Amino acid sequence: MEEKRIGVYICWCGTNISLMVDVETVAKEMAKLPNVVISKDYKYVCSDPGQDIIIKDIKEHNLNRIVVASCSPRMHELTFRKTLVKAGLNPYYFEMANIREQDSWVHTDRVEATKKAKALIAAAINRVSFHEALDSRSVEINPATFIIGGGISGLSAALEIADSGKKVFLIERSGRMGGHVADFDLTFPYMYSAQQMITPLIQRVKSHQNIELFLNSEIKEIFGYIGNFESTIHSKDGKETAVKFGNVIIATGLKTFDPSNIENYGYGKLPDVITSFEFEKMLLNGIIKTKDGKEPKNIAIIHCVGSRNKNYHEYCSRTCCMTALKYANQIRCELPKANIFDIYADMRSFGKGCEEFYTLSSRRNIKFLMFDQENDLPKIVSANSGDNCDMLIEINEKLTGKTIEVPADMVILMVGMEARENAKEIAHAVGISMCGNSFYIERHPKLDPVATTTNGVYIAGGCQAPKEIPDSVAQAKAAAARILATIAKGSVEVEVTTACVNEDFCCGCQTCIKVCPYTAISFDAEKKVSVVNEVLCKGCGTCGSGCPTGAIKCKHFTDMQILSQIEGIMKISHLELQEA
Amino acid sequence: MKERIDPNLYNDLEKFGIDVGNWNECYHCGNCTATCPLTEKGSLFPRKEIRFLQLGLKNELATSAEPWLCYYCGDCSKKCPRDANPGELMMSLRRYLTSIYDWTGLAKRIYTSKIFEIATILVISLIVMVLYLNFTFFPSGEGAWTGNDGGVLINKIAPWKRIHFGDWLMAGTLAFFLITNIFNMWLNIIVKDKSVKVPFIAYFTEVFSVVINFFTQKRFNKCDNDNKPYWVIHLFLMLSYVMLFTMIVFFLQWFQTDSVHPVWHPQRLLGYISTIGLFVGIIYFINNRIKKAKENSKYSHYTDWTFLVMLFLTTLTGILLHFFRINGMAQATYITYLIHLMCLVPMLTIEVPFSKWSHLAYRPFAIYFANVKKSALKKQVKL
Repeated sequence: MEEKRIGVYICWCGTNISLMVDVETVAKEMAKLPNVVISKDYKYVCSDPGQDIIIKDIKEHNLNRIVVASCSPRMHELTFRKTLVKAGLNPYYFEMANIREQDSWVHTDRVEATKKAKALIAAAINRVSFHEALDSRSVEINPATFIIGGGISGLSAALEIADSGKKVFLIERSGRMGGHVADFDLTFPYMYSAQQMITPLIQRVKSHQNIELFLNSEIKEIFGYIGNFESTIHSKDGKETAVKFGNVIIATGLKTFDPSNIENYGYGKLPDVITSFEFEKMLLNGIIKTKDGKEPKNIAIIHCVGSRNKNYHEYCSRTCCMTALKYANQIRCELPKANIFDIYADMRSFGKGCEEFYTLSSRRNIKFLMFDQENDLPKIVSANSGDNCDMLIEINEKLTGKTIEVPADMVILMVGMEARENAKEIAHAVGISMCGNSFYIERHPKLDPVATTTNGVYIAGGCQAPKEIPDSVAQAKAAAARILATIAKGSVEVEVTTACVNEDFCCGCQTCIKVCPYTAISFDAEKKVSVVNEVLCKGCGTCGSGCPTGAIKCKHFTDMQILSQIEGIMKISHLELQEA
Repeated sequence: MKERIDPNLYNDLEKFGIDVGNWNECYHCGNCTATCPLTEKGSLFPRKEIRFLQLGLKNELATSAEPWLCYYCGDCSKKCPRDANPGELMMSLRRYLTSIYDWTGLAKRIYTSKIFEIATILVISLIVMVLYLNFTFFPSGEGAWTGNDGGVLINKIAPWKRIHFGDWLMAGTLAFFLITNIFNMWLNIIVKDKSVKVPFIAYFTEVFSVVINFFTQKRFNKCDNDNKPYWVIHLFLMLSYVMLFTMIVFFLQWFQTDSVHPVWHPQRLLGYISTIGLFVGIIYFINNRIKKAKENSKYSHYTDWTFLVMLFLTTLTGILLHFFRINGMAQATYITYLIHLMCLVPMLTIEVPFSKWSHLAYRPFAIYFANVKKSALKKQVKL
């Protein structure tokens, strides 16, 4: 066994660490620990001069293990791994002790904080002795992309990828493309025609030589991993097509909320209470008429139907407020003399041009009434013959504090958006996760809102959360860009800190298969042992702790590494006790 | 109590000047109410009024006293982020309420039709002329213009008793309309509000608030400090008007004399002070409206102008009348007297019960009713 020659570097982080930790003393004491060849403190170890010190020491003192005590590994682990590579060492011969977030920032007693720093660094020194060299691996990327869903997101992504000369398989469950956008008349806030936007996209997709289109089709499951997926497309006419592809975009969209369950609104019972999508159809046909064929004199629009209410969905559906204003404006144009009542809970007019749209709308003699969405929904009842209208809406109006009756001949319910009923099946088929509302979860809500936790699987549009057209298109094109980047690279590096099975110890109990969140483990029926697909494995370690025989080893988190780390902490505490 | 929305209320209110601000753009941030020095718990304005207007709650508007509690300093309009112009909205509502209280329907026609207002002024002027020519001894021949000593004999031409009779007739008529309209106001503000039951005693305990607010306009003084000169001039104008009105209607015998008193005589002194008060005030307010100098003079309804112009003409003819009389210019005196009456009578007849000058009565009474309600509410809470 080679001799372990450890270098320890303690960072001041300016005053972030040095104010609360006596870094010089710590550096001196760490030098006394076994195998430690050199121990230094420096103002900013992460800086170029700081890294240069490490590289120089590795070469001069022939170091083969490095410990840096500084900030969180989240911040600089990659930085220092690269430093080791520059000096000719394997990057996994590195260990980091977090003495900033877990020590100097959270403590107020300098003596105690210094003791804690010693314990954390000693643990790292102990652990690093057991580190093994791990080699990075890469897989080849199949340049074809599989897109599920032919709405505006799917179409946008498909064209983006196909235009760059790469193959796209686009599958759509229904018999037509365009999704919800194809049902719209105009779009807020600039009143562009939805038809004029979506029709050219559909035409281009249909005639594109790089896009293979599968209408009336579904998939059951996708096998494989990034770069090398495969699946079978089942068409409604019984045809089956096997396809191979390197990346997947899920753009399955969402569906509208069914308001029949909200008693107050009487949807389904009162003939002229309609949903926003039914009204959109009227606008597309150019006729606003009640069920009796009359022109409505009083039209009410009710917001937040099925949204922002604990009984239905707690989230905001994002698009309905502005769509409601769009309706109000369109009604004002079609029926200039109609009384328009906009019954809202909060007017959410974020987004480019939307607040201006609201201001503009408020100049068009539209009456805005506010209700309590959480506890006090308006109630729609049939009017009596003397009321001069078909229905009456009773509202406890928030801004006046009064109970007000609004006459109405037509009521438009701004129904919210919810996940599709088969969202779970799709999630299972491609191995991605869902939030409580059955929308798909992105890898990081801020920094990676397009990818999922499964490499090579991206999400775009309404399947992630309710969103407007430009957001859906942006997300779709971002997904396309991400995929084109991996295709351009030709291969992709995969995680090396994965689990591996010692076949001699494996008893074939398959506990690991049940607990793996990434479906990365399969069972070899012939050998009767578990097999880890190292491309799918994220190295989370769940299988390792579940394994009753200790057959599964998680690279870079071996039992020895973790036990020695604990031992390191105990050793320092033990010394302290002796001193006392 | 449920109240039905009246979607056409906006159309009814349009001509009262409601349209100068983007009131429909108000999103109820409440800055106007927060900045108002007069609003208080129990009587919140002007946001509430805007809401009633936006929703078309006619009954709520008709029964609210709040528009009268505002003296239009204009702070709310300055602070409004949506340019909804709540200050001018309150002004318009005062016009609207005047028409609501007026059971004859004349106020509504005056406020909504320029032509009707001008025609009414002309008709009353003509009536005054006919009456003057018929019931006074307006000279018809040469040499009848002056007395034996060459002096002005105003009481011979237009005897004070006859003019006084006309005064009383006019004052009685005006009082009748004004009092019945105030009764209507009481019905609207107190009787129609079912949420509060006013005990009889409350009407007595609060009676001083009418008197004090009438003579001091002390609420007005609570408005922004920048408005101090405004308040002083407004108060001076109002008191001068009341002084002259009192002297003419109740003490004409003492006020209209043939002999010219010395300058220090109370009759002349009071006359001069009041005239200065009127004149300074009128010039100040006309200047403000022309220059649009203040928030409250930026927007002028045509009735605002009629009022100022009529008041100006009345004062000017009054000054000329005095000038001609003390200088012994008999012919000019008698003709100017006629013109003076032809301005004065239509001004009072139109403005006092049906238009802007009714504020003089409605404001203190609104404060009175609001106080009565407040004390009644306090007692209700205690019970």
